[in-house]
Amino acid sequence: MAVTPRKTGWLQGNGWLLVLLALLILFPFIVGALTDSSPYGVARGDRMIMRGESVRWQSVLIEVYILAILTMSYNLLFGFTGVISFGHALFFGTASYLFGLALEFTEMDTGLAIVVGAVAAIVVCGLLGLLIGLVTLRLKGVYFAIFTLAVAEMFFIFLGRWQLTRAEDGFAITDLPAWLDPTQSRLSFYYLALVLAVLTFLFIRRLVNSPTGAVFQAIRENEDRAQSLGYNTLNYKLFSIVIAGMLAGVAGLLQVMLNKKVGPELLSVGYTVDPLLMTIIGGVGTLGGPIIGAAGLHLLDVFFRDRELVLGSMTIDIANIWALLLGVIFILAVIVFPYGVIGTWRRWQARALRKR
Amino acid sequence: MTDSILEVRDIHTFIGQFHILEGVSVSVPVGSITVLLGRNGAGKTTTLRSIMGLTPPARGQILFDGKNIAGKHPHAIAQLGIGYVPEHRAIFRELTVHENLRIAERKRGDLARKADFIFELFPDLKRLIDLPGGNLSGGQQQMLAVARALVPDNRLLLIDEPSEGLAPVIIEQLMAAISRLAESSSVLLVEQNFRVASRLAQQYVIIEEGQSPAAGKIDALVQDAALVQRYLGVA
Repeated sequence: MAVTPRKTGWLQGNGWLLVLLALLILFPFIVGALTDSSPYGVARGDRMIMRGESVRWQSVLIEVYILAILTMSYNLLFGFTGVISFGHALFFGTASYLFGLALEFTEMDTGLAIVVGAVAAIVVCGLLGLLIGLVTLRLKGVYFAIFTLAVAEMFFIFLGRWQLTRAEDGFAITDLPAWLDPTQSRLSFYYLALVLAVLTFLFIRRLVNSPTGAVFQAIRENEDRAQSLGYNTLNYKLFSIVIAGMLAGVAGLLQVMLNKKVGPELLSVGYTVDPLLMTIIGGVGTLGGPIIGAAGLHLLDVFFRDRELVLGSMTIDIANIWALLLGVIFILAVIVFPYGVIGTWRRWQARALRKR
Repeated sequence: MTDSILEVRDIHTFIGQFHILEGVSVSVPVGSITVLLGRNGAGKTTTLRSIMGLTPPARGQILFDGKNIAGKHPHAIAQLGIGYVPEHRAIFRELTVHENLRIAERKRGDLARKADFIFELFPDLKRLIDLPGGNLSGGQQQMLAVARALVPDNRLLLIDEPSEGLAPVIIEQLMAAISRLAESSSVLLVEQNFRVASRLAQQYVIIEEGQSPAAGKIDALVQDAALVQRYLGVA
């Protein structure tokens, strides 16, 4: 007897995704047409200067894609496997440093340095995940979280003092080829970031819907039960943290290319807290949640960053109180959308369906 | 005893600093149903969890097929061919019925081979195959939990309070299913409902204050009103 569940057509199941993707592919041109600016920037002599609304909005979305990759990787570990890490910035920052070191501190020519740097960064992120996992995944919940926080902070402090990489000043990336350099060709970098974000999404969706992904979710719900079915849950958790670490490394690589700068701030606790908040607000353990969370929070940030709040005779610079506002948004989100945007939407939908 | 698939010998289990099991012995003969009887908090669930390795015993032996499995990891114990159906409808709520069943495969193709048997025992599950486990009713969830233990080739099933909180008609269906299971594997059952237990099982073991003071044939227990009164407090 067949025990396969119902299948919907690929196109039917992915319709919304394709529409969104088409919009994002056309986005630089749409903004360009609306604001009468070129998506390629402004020509000056034989160089392109990255000016204009289209180019500016491309960077905003590039930042969204990077945060989305970081948040999706965090959600794989936290949302789908149920492992709470407070040290995700470790992977993000380590990848940036390795990539920067390969480009700026070795004699390899640029093309080779990029490949070696990127591969080394992702491999080392995977190994770091494995190592941290082996040492700590036997610990339960909060102990694991504290240990990851400690390791990330240790690296943060070390890199803030390491003279070779100019301690807390960090160092600039000067060696990128034009097509990878957002200050020379924003549009090609925009598409690179978009492609990597889409690949990350498709990869995580595939993984989560696979038998391995079902075991991840079983562990999240009840590790004892997963073990009682014969699964060595430690191995699955290790696999999850290795994959999550590598994907966070991909986000770190993009970040370093976008800012053309490497510094210890890339390992700061902010790059752990942001994906955590974005996951919770978007919807823990959902596929779309991290993307909605990353886009929503980052766009709010961009929108409010250089605005002022006028309260009677007082003028408050919103950039200065952004962290406070973020806290308020987070509290409101948890009250209004206790299961995240996606989770709450699904529950609401299910209730409407039941009433019918 | 060579005709026992499971021989628990004088196990002592601690949870934190609490000495929960203070010498429990249980024997499960091949191809029959043995029931653990006793009051709430007596240590029945802990006995099953100790066998499964979830609360490993500090002392004593657990022989499965003559080999000591005490101290092994739960996943290794499961892979030997022991299925565990925990209490409280222990399904995965976020996974669909199909995923809940598929995740129990120990070899590729387990589910395809057992599907006919499982859907014959629990026809409801076939209809609900695409629904998340959490959307099922209590009875359906319990059926799914039992069905999951049937997917791989298990030689011993540990089933904890399958009838708890279910309607009588559902209990009937579950009990019929469990007695069919005993045709292909041995069962160690925890069941509070003495009437249900006495109809289903062939052997009993009383668990009382972390010990196993009495055991034997269930027929003998049914006749012995004094013993039932003493340990179970029911007439």
